[in-house]
Amino acid sequence: MNINEVTNSNTLWERWEYNSIINPDKEAIIHWLGGEEPVRWTFKNLIDAAKKFSVIIRKWGIKPGEVCAIIIRHNPMFYPLYLGVLRTGALPAVLAYPNPRIHPDKFRQGIEGMSQRSGLDWILSEPDLEPIVKPLLEKKESTIKSILFPLEADLNNEFDQSIDIKISDDVKAIKNTQPALLQHSSGTTGLQKPVVLSHKAILEHVKNCASALELTDNDKIVSWLPLYHDMGLIAAFHLPLAYGITSVQIDPFEWVLAPTLMIEAISKEKGTLSWIPNFAYNILADKTDDEELEEYSLSSLRSVINCSEPVRHDSHEKFAAKFVKYGFNPLALGASYAMAETTFAITQTTPLTEIKILEVDRTALAEGVVKIANENSIKRICVSSGKLIDGCSIRIVDGDKNDLLEGFVGEIAVKSISMFDGYRNYPEKTAEALIDGWYYTGDYGFLYEEDYFVIGRKKDLIIVAGKNVYPEDIEDAVGKVANVVPGRVVAFGEDDLDLGTEQVAVIAETLLEDVKEKNNLRLEIMKAGMAIDMNIHKVYLVPPRWLIKSSAGKPSRNANKERILKRDDQQVWSR
Amino acid sequence: MISDKLRKVILSELDLDDFDFQDETKATEVPGWDSLNHVNIIIAVEKHFGIKFKSLEILRLKNVGDLQNLVDSKLNK
Repeated sequence: MNINEVTNSNTLWERWEYNSIINPDKEAIIHWLGGEEPVRWTFKNLIDAAKKFSVIIRKWGIKPGEVCAIIIRHNPMFYPLYLGVLRTGALPAVLAYPNPRIHPDKFRQGIEGMSQRSGLDWILSEPDLEPIVKPLLEKKESTIKSILFPLEADLNNEFDQSIDIKISDDVKAIKNTQPALLQHSSGTTGLQKPVVLSHKAILEHVKNCASALELTDNDKIVSWLPLYHDMGLIAAFHLPLAYGITSVQIDPFEWVLAPTLMIEAISKEKGTLSWIPNFAYNILADKTDDEELEEYSLSSLRSVINCSEPVRHDSHEKFAAKFVKYGFNPLALGASYAMAETTFAITQTTPLTEIKILEVDRTALAEGVVKIANENSIKRICVSSGKLIDGCSIRIVDGDKNDLLEGFVGEIAVKSISMFDGYRNYPEKTAEALIDGWYYTGDYGFLYEEDYFVIGRKKDLIIVAGKNVYPEDIEDAVGKVANVVPGRVVAFGEDDLDLGTEQVAVIAETLLEDVKEKNNLRLEIMKAGMAIDMNIHKVYLVPPRWLIKSSAGKPSRNANKERILKRDDQQVWSR
Repeated sequence: MISDKLRKVILSELDLDDFDFQDETKATEVPGWDSLNHVNIIIAVEKHFGIKFKSLEILRLKNVGDLQNLVDSKLNK
């Protein structure tokens, strides 16, 4: 396919429609279900169904520019619904369907906070969610007009040709600089930051990403990533749809229960590309059974792209070691550095080219200098996240935002042709992060011979299995547990080498001394985490005034994490 | 009815002293039993009982009672 031809489309809808005309019978989306026949959407069928949904959306009174939160479980009708919303000029915003363990009040509060911030206008969901969301609609100040159930709509009987023609005319008037969708920079519900992306931003990103990935018509993306996450939505959904290639969509909940599903889908559908967070390499390597894998082959893969979590060399090694006997080419190990604020990718490794790794001196690195390790060094292996993709720029800066030279560690600032314009209704957060057109990521990294390496972060963010978790959310929930000294809680990420990710750990001050009572308190703290859908993996209980305060007077996360991980304090209770 | 053996394997994997498991108990009701831990629990159960589950069998499990039944069916084979 000629990239220039592809980039001629003005809007996403125009591109999708174009793909459905030139390749009507090509599969657009294969909706994967464990143990069942997949549902296969061709480009033509998908567009036809999307048109029908768009008529219903218009009939319901949803206006262009209004935000539609789509909260639907893995369902084959999700895709045409999403496309249909976008066709009408309304902005789809995919949100996670609540995990059964989350307390309904907490979920409702999250939606309420998000609606005030993002200005959610409509909720498109399943009837099961109505009792949870309804109290919110009855509030005077609610921005949400209604909760609607599109999966129950009769697409054929509801279709009205005159409305369809009207929408078709309206689509032509949409400018490519207009907002197309709203995605949330990943995080917990209360603290998610809404990012609006234009048609142009996404189409430019598709062009540049396709070029970096050397995409061809024969590529096929296999993904279990949730579509409320930027990696799932942009890399595994928008990229293939706009480029005109097939994606296989696996239910994230099914994948985590049965990781072999991804291998099965790649093998049966001859998948060539997949994006996964680092922990998934460990899960696939360590938690899949060879007996089940016997019949599968990964020889079709051109790149498995590690993104959304720090890239760990040992995770790549164990993945390659396990799957090489199933036809996996170790040169297909890839990585990318990406974020919602730049639509998605900033850097990308080249498929089927050995990923660059650097053995550096850990002590020098801690001082901000990249020094290749020698025999006396304590070594750290850093894995490249690839080279800049077209349309993107990176600066590595010091604490005063001055540029650093190659080989020095600093904060990563990025700029992209597909940059967001700022967080929606969040000027103070925008001002913090977006300065003179540069987005200051809060991540630390360095440049070395054209490759970018991301090695840590300035923010206290915890990344659990690719999901961003803000410690404030956990501290807030745990601080309310009886027998925890109010305000004397610290949450942080603790490395789980087995899973190749971080797990949530909590340090809480308590007056309790009895071991049985401490065991009960540990359980209560874990339950408080469950109520906000957070698994608190480790609980450390400490006596009052144990936590070190920062200069601002609040318990310092970093200092207390360091103190607890020395594991030499008799006053600390844990199990 | 959940056997004592299965109960102990799950408790040990979750590092819990006790939990009142019923047939209807779902993973989401048990502290620490999240989706990431699920695969570890399944592997621990397989190892303890010397059995193997297929992916589809795991996907069909709705509660602890289903897991017990699956273990029993494997052991009775």
